[in-house]
Amino acid sequence: MTEDSQRNFRSVYYEKVGFRGVEEKKSLEILLKDDRLDIEKLCTFSQRFPLPSMYRALVWKVLLGILPPHHESHAQVMKYHKEQYSDVLHALEVIRFISDATPQIEVYLYMHRLESGKLPRSPSFPLEPEDEVFLAIAKAMEEMVEDSVDCYWITRCFVNQLNSKYRDTLPQLPKAFEQYLNLEDGRLLSHLKACGAVSTLPYELWFKKCFAGCLPESSLQRIWDKVVSGSCKILVFVAVEILLTFKIKVMALNSAEKITKFLENIPQDSSDAIVSKAVDLWHKHCGTPVHSA
Amino acid sequence: MAQQASVGELLSMLDSPLLGVRDDVTAVFKENLNSDRGPMLVNTLVDYYLETNSQPVLHILTTLQEPHDKHLLDKMNEYVGKAASRLSALLLLGHVVRLQPSWKHKLSQAPLLPSLLKCLKTDTDIVVLTTAVLVLVTMLPMIPQSGKQHLHDFFDVFGRLSSWCLKKPGHVTEVYLVHLHASVYALFHRLYGMYPCNFVSFLRSHYSMKENLETFEEVVKPMMEHVRIHPELVTGSKDHELDPRRWKRLETHDVVIECAKISLDPTEASYEDGYSVSHQISARFPHRSADVSASSYVDTQNSYGNATSTPYSTSRLTLNTPGQLPQTLSSPSTRLLAEPPQATLWSPSAACGMTTPPTSPGNVPPDLSHPYSKIFGTAGGKGTPLGTPATSPPPAPPCHSDDYVHLSLPQATAPKKEERTDSARPCLHRQPHLPNDRGLEELHGGKGSVTLSDLPGFLGDLASEEDSIEKDKEEAAISKELSEITTADAEPLVPRGGFDSPFYRDSLPGCPRKTLSASSSTQGTSANSEPLNSSLDKPGPDTPKQAFTPIDLPCGGTGESPAGNRERQASLEASILTPSPCKIPPQRGVGFGSGQPPPYDHLFEVALPKTAHHFVSKKTEELLKKAKGGAEEDVPPSASPVEVLDRLVQQGADVHSKELSRLSLPSKSVDWTHFGDEIRTLRNQLLLLHNQLLYERFKRQQHALRNRRLLRKVIRAAALEEHNAAMKDQLKLQEKDIQIWKISLQKEQARYSQLQEQRDTVVTQLHSQIRQLQHDREEFYNQSQELQTKLADCRNMIAELRVELKKANNKVCHTELLLSQVSQKLSNSESVQQQMEFLNRQLLVLGEVNELYLEQLQNKHSDTTKEVEMMKAAYRKELEKNRSHVLQQNQRLDTCQKRILELESHLAKKDHLLLEQKKYLEDVKLQARGQLQAAESRYESQKKITQVFELEILDLYGKLEKDGLLRKLEEQKPEAAEAAEERLDYCQDGCSDSVTGHNEEAPGRNGETKPPRPSSARGGGGSRGGGSSSELSTPEKPPNPRAGPFSSRWETAVGEPASGTPATVGSLPSSESFLGMKARELFRNKSESQCDEDGLTVGSLSETLKTELGKDSGVEARPPPALDGPLPPAPKPDSVGQLRIMDYNEAQLEHS
Repeated sequence: MTEDSQRNFRSVYYEKVGFRGVEEKKSLEILLKDDRLDIEKLCTFSQRFPLPSMYRALVWKVLLGILPPHHESHAQVMKYHKEQYSDVLHALEVIRFISDATPQIEVYLYMHRLESGKLPRSPSFPLEPEDEVFLAIAKAMEEMVEDSVDCYWITRCFVNQLNSKYRDTLPQLPKAFEQYLNLEDGRLLSHLKACGAVSTLPYELWFKKCFAGCLPESSLQRIWDKVVSGSCKILVFVAVEILLTFKIKVMALNSAEKITKFLENIPQDSSDAIVSKAVDLWHKHCGTPVHSA
Repeated sequence: MAQQASVGELLSMLDSPLLGVRDDVTAVFKENLNSDRGPMLVNTLVDYYLETNSQPVLHILTTLQEPHDKHLLDKMNEYVGKAASRLSALLLLGHVVRLQPSWKHKLSQAPLLPSLLKCLKTDTDIVVLTTAVLVLVTMLPMIPQSGKQHLHDFFDVFGRLSSWCLKKPGHVTEVYLVHLHASVYALFHRLYGMYPCNFVSFLRSHYSMKENLETFEEVVKPMMEHVRIHPELVTGSKDHELDPRRWKRLETHDVVIECAKISLDPTEASYEDGYSVSHQISARFPHRSADVSASSYVDTQNSYGNATSTPYSTSRLTLNTPGQLPQTLSSPSTRLLAEPPQATLWSPSAACGMTTPPTSPGNVPPDLSHPYSKIFGTAGGKGTPLGTPATSPPPAPPCHSDDYVHLSLPQATAPKKEERTDSARPCLHRQPHLPNDRGLEELHGGKGSVTLSDLPGFLGDLASEEDSIEKDKEEAAISKELSEITTADAEPLVPRGGFDSPFYRDSLPGCPRKTLSASSSTQGTSANSEPLNSSLDKPGPDTPKQAFTPIDLPCGGTGESPAGNRERQASLEASILTPSPCKIPPQRGVGFGSGQPPPYDHLFEVALPKTAHHFVSKKTEELLKKAKGGAEEDVPPSASPVEVLDRLVQQGADVHSKELSRLSLPSKSVDWTHFGDEIRTLRNQLLLLHNQLLYERFKRQQHALRNRRLLRKVIRAAALEEHNAAMKDQLKLQEKDIQIWKISLQKEQARYSQLQEQRDTVVTQLHSQIRQLQHDREEFYNQSQELQTKLADCRNMIAELRVELKKANNKVCHTELLLSQVSQKLSNSESVQQQMEFLNRQLLVLGEVNELYLEQLQNKHSDTTKEVEMMKAAYRKELEKNRSHVLQQNQRLDTCQKRILELESHLAKKDHLLLEQKKYLEDVKLQARGQLQAAESRYESQKKITQVFELEILDLYGKLEKDGLLRKLEEQKPEAAEAAEERLDYCQDGCSDSVTGHNEEAPGRNGETKPPRPSSARGGGGSRGGGSSSELSTPEKPPNPRAGPFSSRWETAVGEPASGTPATVGSLPSSESFLGMKARELFRNKSESQCDEDGLTVGSLSETLKTELGKDSGVEARPPPALDGPLPPAPKPDSVGQLRIMDYNEAQLEHS
């Protein structure tokens, strides 16, 4: 652990006193200095701490496999990606599938579909549910990542990860959600059950779209840090925390529709707190991830 | 004005006969007085009183409170100034002053006093003068210190009036002069008592004048005979007398008593404090003394006083008769000493209780004495003559008569004195039961004429007389007696001796007695005298009864005791009753002469309130009962005898006026002027008498006050004395104790000193002992020290010895060990010796044998030695040779070993290098893989793009065909169209119909499809480099039946039929190789997109593909979109290189 020895010895006390993330940037920089990036460490780091925004795109790209762990090849790989992006874009333009007026996220969607070979015959084809997920994520991602190439690639890989890596765990999340909600606040859960709102909760929004469109991007990216780094359970805790935060309002509502409607449009102002609490909750229930090394 | 009117109404209502109304109105007035501070109401009241003599108004006026006193005094001053109203104003003043209001000290400052004095100096009306003098005398003790500025006025007044007594200026009636004389006498006493020095000096200066000498001789000198030398004359001075500090300590009654003390006159004098006057007299004349005492208390009247007087008199008697102790103490205390058993029971308090009743009139709070004051007022108002009877000292009869009376009484009582002392109590006890008539009889008995046996008869006489007198009255038969009395009274009155001594006792002459008794019996015993007496006696005698009963000794002579008692009582009653008759003789003379009833007044005193009530309810039929009930009802229980007397007087006056009116009517024409004159004189006399009575009453109150206080003091003194005695006893006892203690103390001290000495000796002894012991101790200590050092030395020695012992032991052990060793050695050496012996023997044997052999050898020695030497040399050389050889060998071995070490380190280095290399390789591999992946993905996308493009193109073609353009093309190159169609169909590979179409063509092309196989094999062989890899990997790969055809097909489609297929097929399963990875991905994509249906019939598909391949070869030249053709090969060499590297790697691994 050379990195740890190089770290500020006060970091332990910072955390004790309650300052978080003082040393994160530095340690992340140390991590990123390695020639061959240690993906596992990056994962652990990203699960433990929120990523500094200036490194977020890089880390995500590395974690999502867009960039290889070697710095040397980054430039070349990115060049390839750019070319690929422009080629696909060009192709879509050539076949007049998109125009300049087409929204960027749809462009991403068609590019994704093209690359996955599922391009519909015409743009007027109705969207499938997964397309909507993609669109929501792309929309959120567009806010987070400036470069369109990066954005496209990250979105694509993110969605791919959801579809591949989390294919089995995502359907389990509602059950886990109920379980943890019961642990945290049994009355709330019973209220929800009494209202019959448990089944109608916006699970798709929460777990499939990973809260894209539900929370503002600034807080969303902190959740996605964890999702990207391989833990989709954080979604459960975010959902639980949302319910706990708006407990009073939810308790006041009696019908499932109202609850669902409210939860689909929760106020944005307290999202940061929700995310922080959710992360704490996650750490509490699942333990703080540690370096496996 | 309305208020004025209402006041008038109220005033008139005051005199209403209804008690309730009176009380209410009085209350209203009092309220007004309390609230109103103005002089109006008081003035009105005074006016009204002077007009009507209303009793309630008098009551209100006498009880005025502080703020109103000024108005009252002013108003009275005003009236005193006027000659007409002077008398009544003075009377009012007298009433007010006698009650001693709280503001009495203001009297001296009030203008009233000067005007009073002025009136005294100037007025010529003897009635006014007498009244004024009495008022002054009453007032003097109240204002002792402040009266000093008027001192000379007082003296002037005295001088004037004393000369008046002699000169009788104008036509003053002799009768009045008596009164005046008495009042002047009182003034004399007062002035002499209060201001002796000043007064004496005044007398000296005033009577040194010639013109006054006669007055002095006639008037003042007799007065001086009745006073002692005042102690102040010796000790005091003029200034001292007037010193306010002197008076500050004295209350009014103190002053009065002070004055009485210096009097030798038994009527005036007090018996206090060893003033021996009275007691001397009483010693000589016990009865007289009793009388005196009685008179002093009772001169104002009532049988009550009578009752109270009895214990006193008896006490005095007992004092005198047994003569046990000199009478230096006052009667109760003497009694105490004289008769201890009784003393305990007949306590001073009892005496006090007996004496208390007389005090009531003065001291009863005005509110309570309402009825009394009422009566008082009426008495004062109505009957001017009524007030007088009791007060004024009666004209003094000659001394001898006095003696006679007193001597006569003892004659009767003397034999029974002894009994009486004891029997007095039972008698008293019985007294209440005695009918009042008897009292009346005794009154006569007082004359000495009535005996017990005569009593019943006398009673009867009285009864008859009473009736007759009543009749007399009715018939106005008084005139006869009047003349008698006037003559009888004229005698004692005329001589100067009458003035000399005011002993009323002398007024007991026989002549008036009869009328007196008659008149008394008329009223007193009329019908209800008995109950009256009993009821009257109740309060008085009851107390003595309580007091005496315990001592109630059974009288030896019961028969005698009542007699004695009666006798005594008789004397007492006489003494009590006498005053009034005595005082009144002149009046009576006149009164009877004029047919006036005033004389009755004095009989009323005996008859008491019952008779008064009898008069009130005269006209009711049941006299006895009603009188009793009525009296009890009407007169409040607190009604004092004084009130009763007043009422009596009033009633008498009423009767008198009635009579008068009755008389006057017929006699108006007859001799009216003379009659009127008489009446006036009588009235005046009555008034004077009343004044005097009131004055005396006042004095009595003062005495009572004094008495009570003295009694209290006496009690306290007695108690204190007792206490003192006890204390003294205690003191003595304690002193004795102290003595004893002192003695014992001395003893103890002696003992103590002895003990101390002993102790000292002991201490010294002990000290010496201690010193010795200490010395011893030190010695012992030293010894012990020495011993201890010795002990230490010994211990050291012991330790040393022990060490030595140990050492010795060690040595012993060692030596033992050595010994054992030595013994062992010895044994060994023994055995060795044995062996040696044995060996020696052997040696000997062997030596012998050797000698034998040597002999033998010498025999054989000659040829063997050279040979042996040669051999030895050869052997030596051989040995050296071998040695060097070994050396060489060793050196070689060393070098070899070094070489081996070197090589080994080299080897390790190499291994390390290899590892690094491997790592690096892996790294690079990873890097390349990343890049490759990117490239792959790009490639994939490119493929997708081309796919899309193809799709698009085909779409477009389709459109063209549909547009009919295709037809022209059909004609020109139908095959191309076919191919295009086929392509299109192929693109929609899933469509079965197109497949069938292909299948139709397939048989024809089957031949064509065969050649590619070998070619592919050839391609595999052609690419030798790749082949090596494939060869290497082949053993690991099972042929993928599904993927194979597809890949081949796509390879061919791209235009790389020969080399691609086998290589990919070979590399597919190997996960390490990039080619394999790529192929897998490709296949996966394929399978994802379109392989679903491919797994149906592998065989048929392979067939179709084979045909296609064949067709491809034909088509290959044609398709323009094969632009990307050169692109795929570009990565190929890389991949191959990579493969090679990998292979090398594997080979290396294998090597290692």
